[in-house]
Amino acid sequence: MSRLRYIAKRVALSVPVVWLGTTMTWAIIYLGPIDPATRLLSEGQTQNPAAYEAARTQLGLDQPPLQHYFDWMGSLLTFDLGQTWLLYQGSDVNALILDFLPRTLWLGFWSVLIAVCIGVPLGFYAGMRSNTASDYVASMGGIVWRAMPNFWLGIMLLAVLGSSQAIFGFDWQSLWIELDALTGSPDLSRLHTVEGFLAATKKVLPAAIVLGSASMGNEMRIGRTAVLEVRNEDYVDLARAKGVSERALVWKHIFRNALIPLVPIITSEAFLLIGGSVLVETVFSINGIGLLFFNAATQGDLPLVGTLMYVFILLIVGVNLLQDVLYTVIDPRVGLEGA
Amino acid sequence: MSDEPLLSVRDLEVVFHTERERIHAVDGVTFEIREGQTVGLVGESGSGKSVTARSILGLVDEPGRIEGGEILYRGEDLTEDNWADHRGDIAIVFQDPTNSLNPVYTIGNQIEEALRIHQDLRGRAATDRAIELLEDVGIPDAPRRVDEYPHQLSGGMAQRAVIAMALACDPDLLVCDEPTTALDVTIQAQILDLLAELQAEQDLAILFITHDMGVIEDATDWVNVIYAGEVVERAPTEALFDHPAHPYTRALLESIPGRTDPDERLPTIEGEVPTPTGPATDCRFAPRCPEAFEDCRSVAPEHVSLDGDRSAACLLHDPARSDGGERQ
Ligand code: SF4
Repeated sequence: MSRLRYIAKRVALSVPVVWLGTTMTWAIIYLGPIDPATRLLSEGQTQNPAAYEAARTQLGLDQPPLQHYFDWMGSLLTFDLGQTWLLYQGSDVNALILDFLPRTLWLGFWSVLIAVCIGVPLGFYAGMRSNTASDYVASMGGIVWRAMPNFWLGIMLLAVLGSSQAIFGFDWQSLWIELDALTGSPDLSRLHTVEGFLAATKKVLPAAIVLGSASMGNEMRIGRTAVLEVRNEDYVDLARAKGVSERALVWKHIFRNALIPLVPIITSEAFLLIGGSVLVETVFSINGIGLLFFNAATQGDLPLVGTLMYVFILLIVGVNLLQDVLYTVIDPRVGLEGA
Repeated sequence: MSDEPLLSVRDLEVVFHTERERIHAVDGVTFEIREGQTVGLVGESGSGKSVTARSILGLVDEPGRIEGGEILYRGEDLTEDNWADHRGDIAIVFQDPTNSLNPVYTIGNQIEEALRIHQDLRGRAATDRAIELLEDVGIPDAPRRVDEYPHQLSGGMAQRAVIAMALACDPDLLVCDEPTTALDVTIQAQILDLLAELQAEQDLAILFITHDMGVIEDATDWVNVIYAGEVVERAPTEALFDHPAHPYTRALLESIPGRTDPDERLPTIEGEVPTPTGPATDCRFAPRCPEAFEDCRSVAPEHVSLDGDRSAACLLHDPARSDGGERQ
């Protein structure tokens, strides 16, 4: 019961976070040094006062700032996001986001999943066999893997996969599921079919591995430390003295406790993925929301930047809430103390 | 009472390997416990008493290793990796109850786990038995407590739950490693009473490991005084308190409140317990011993039998060395 109350409290607390984030975004974009209206006009039009005025009116900048702020917030809250100005000119922003966001989420999903599924077991394995040869190999591997920069790893991976026939003797592109190209956006329209799912997965796999590489290394390191710490707890010794089998000791008594410090690591890395996806989406030419944001920012489509910021804020708050839910599932102490 | 001791520890050697040296945390500890007996192992922190306790249950953590001696449980040597066969026969209670229970499982879950392993109880039967055990150890409102998590219990209640969990294994010997040190004084007394009660009811043997001579006096029949990894004196509790034979025992006794003049400051033993890194070549207590004499620095004392079954490892009692016990 108190766990539900705890979650409800966290949801309520995220409202001011969203408000603060969007307000700051609005202030930076519309009160900042760059006039959004000018940025939307082409070179020639900036000299044209009529076109400039028209742009200002359409952006609502002719209103008093407070009025504009409320309008803007209102349209965000109701997801009435309007049309784009510069990038994909005139298209519906809602449609644009619905088109681009799933690709990024798909990429993010796999990169978190791969990192968790490889990093955590490897870290736990190293922690259970601390200071043995296999621990050293796993730990060193983790550090090296962690240290490789994304852009470099991405390019190297593409180079290797591109000539996989010569290096490994099989062709990655036609392995298992035929891909149309090594890079590019995954086709998410056929996810409900087995083949469509596999194809879309295989397409983002290299990008997901690159994007999750740093997280994988971190999770492994933290996982190792967590297991080492929990292994030496009195309650583990007491369980052993009680006659609990080695297997139950590891799975029941050690792992669940070792997962607790990993939860914030995994979720905080989900944030990094949102930022990191810009780079990886560029290298692997995936039309995701990271790439969209990057293009909007560099080309000066400030209204779109603001809207995308709002989407990012919602994503981050959502991940935070997910973290709280995970906590309450794993750790019974959460929500009972100080809640 | 049979002739064979329930547990007999002989010349136990536990060595911790660090990068630079080998630390002999336990260096030839010998003592025994008979069925239903309460034996104390007393010494300062760093004397090797906790390592001895963990050794008995095969719980010595890396980089420590049992490198010699025997731990005979009903005549069977546990050090030959026989712990698995005797899990539950020997249970242990640690100093800090808040660390002794797994924080992510309910009290009931952890007691029922032991009941399943040792008494083959499951489901409703296990829960009912767990509630009974909690009631036995004096936890009020046990049917509700059984579903609570460790952090919802106070220190004293958690220690009772740990004892209940130990009892669920149906042990013959309960090793209590400083079971009351982390608790308030009033709670300490309650836990000691509880242990005495359980012992009387269940004919349980108890090994008390503590630095607290007061606990030893209240709770035990027989005492082993441990110093720097060795037992230096063994005696029936009463005899030991009446006539301590070893200078270290005397020093420990003087540090109990109320035994010396109440107006005087409590004497403490100057200096620290040394950590032995090699075989003894002298008396390890010599640097702190008020009664040390020349031989103490060149001869390692052996146990000398005294009246009754008692013995002490001090050259003062070695007739060949110290003119019949005359102090210098
Ligand atoms: S042997 Fe010597 S130094 Fe050691 S306790 Fe006895 S008198 Fe003191």
